[in-house]
Amino acid sequence: MIAQILLSVLLLAAGLFGWQTFRRAPLIGASAMAAAAGGLYFVWIPEHATRLAAFAGIGRGVDLILYIWVAISLLLLLHLHLKLRVQMELITTLARAIALAEARQERRPG
Amino acid sequence: MISPPATIWIVIAAYNEGRAIGDVIGALRPEGYSVVVVDDCSRDETAAVARQAGASVLRHAINLGQGAALQTGIEFALAQGAEILVTFDADGQHRVSDIPALTAALGDAHADFALGSRVLGGTVNAPPSRKLLLWLATVFTRLTTGMRITDTHNGLRAMTRRGAQAIKLRQNRMAHASEILDQIAASGLTYVEVPVTIEYSEYSLAKGQSFGDALTIVFDLFARRLHR
Repeated sequence: MIAQILLSVLLLAAGLFGWQTFRRAPLIGASAMAAAAGGLYFVWIPEHATRLAAFAGIGRGVDLILYIWVAISLLLLLHLHLKLRVQMELITTLARAIALAEARQERRPG
Repeated sequence: MISPPATIWIVIAAYNEGRAIGDVIGALRPEGYSVVVVDDCSRDETAAVARQAGASVLRHAINLGQGAALQTGIEFALAQGAEILVTFDADGQHRVSDIPALTAALGDAHADFALGSRVLGGTVNAPPSRKLLLWLATVFTRLTTGMRITDTHNGLRAMTRRGAQAIKLRQNRMAHASEILDQIAASGLTYVEVPVTIEYSEYSLAKGQSFGDALTIVFDLFARRLHR
């Protein structure tokens, strides 16, 4: 029961992250929300997880939940990477503005 | 449409090209072209050599990549009133003698972009691995953009002022070459391919792209589509 509650809190947090991310990165946001919802379902109805895991050839239901968790972690990593790219775009805009301003200054007569 | 050379701006992105940039600008300036070099935070004397050779030099305070440097150069050239812009590599693998054909093609074909094609033209000293890489890149570009081009990731291209204003490079590094084609395809701007010759040297090959870089380009293009 304790593990179920703990996992549920973590999965709810992942779902919230997906909700927040959805506007800027729809694919990642939707994937995170879907994975979190699937994870919550299987945490509370583990017999379905076991049945689905057996069907998928994974073995045990708890492994399936772990796999979902790994998938969410990878999505989080991808999201961090995308955030870094956005930051880099801002830095690029700034560096470009400085380069152009310096060039204007140099070309100004006198 | 024949533009006077002074209204044709050659845009060069340069990073640690102190060895080659002087000769490149030295070949361009006598033809009357205006040249802007964007020094992408080189650790060598690239900026000083370029300035000495007669180019306008802009400098990025941090290293951002070739795509970012080209976009900076394009914005600078547009601000100077450029009518035609030509992107040109800093490592000496492009021929100045190909530029008139590119700029003339813009008028003849009423196109916004004249894209250099080494498949229609030729290569000198191109290793088989490079040819294979370029063939794969061209197939990828054809599939992703729908453009029926023969060459991709060729840095020698000319564009009208209208064309240059229409594109906005957000891929800082090597993926910008694919991004330009994506934007041309998406915008409906017109283009024409022009035969050019690329002369590979030991120096330019050492700075060129590898299969690992190609994978990075594919990842960059994919990642760009995942966020707004």
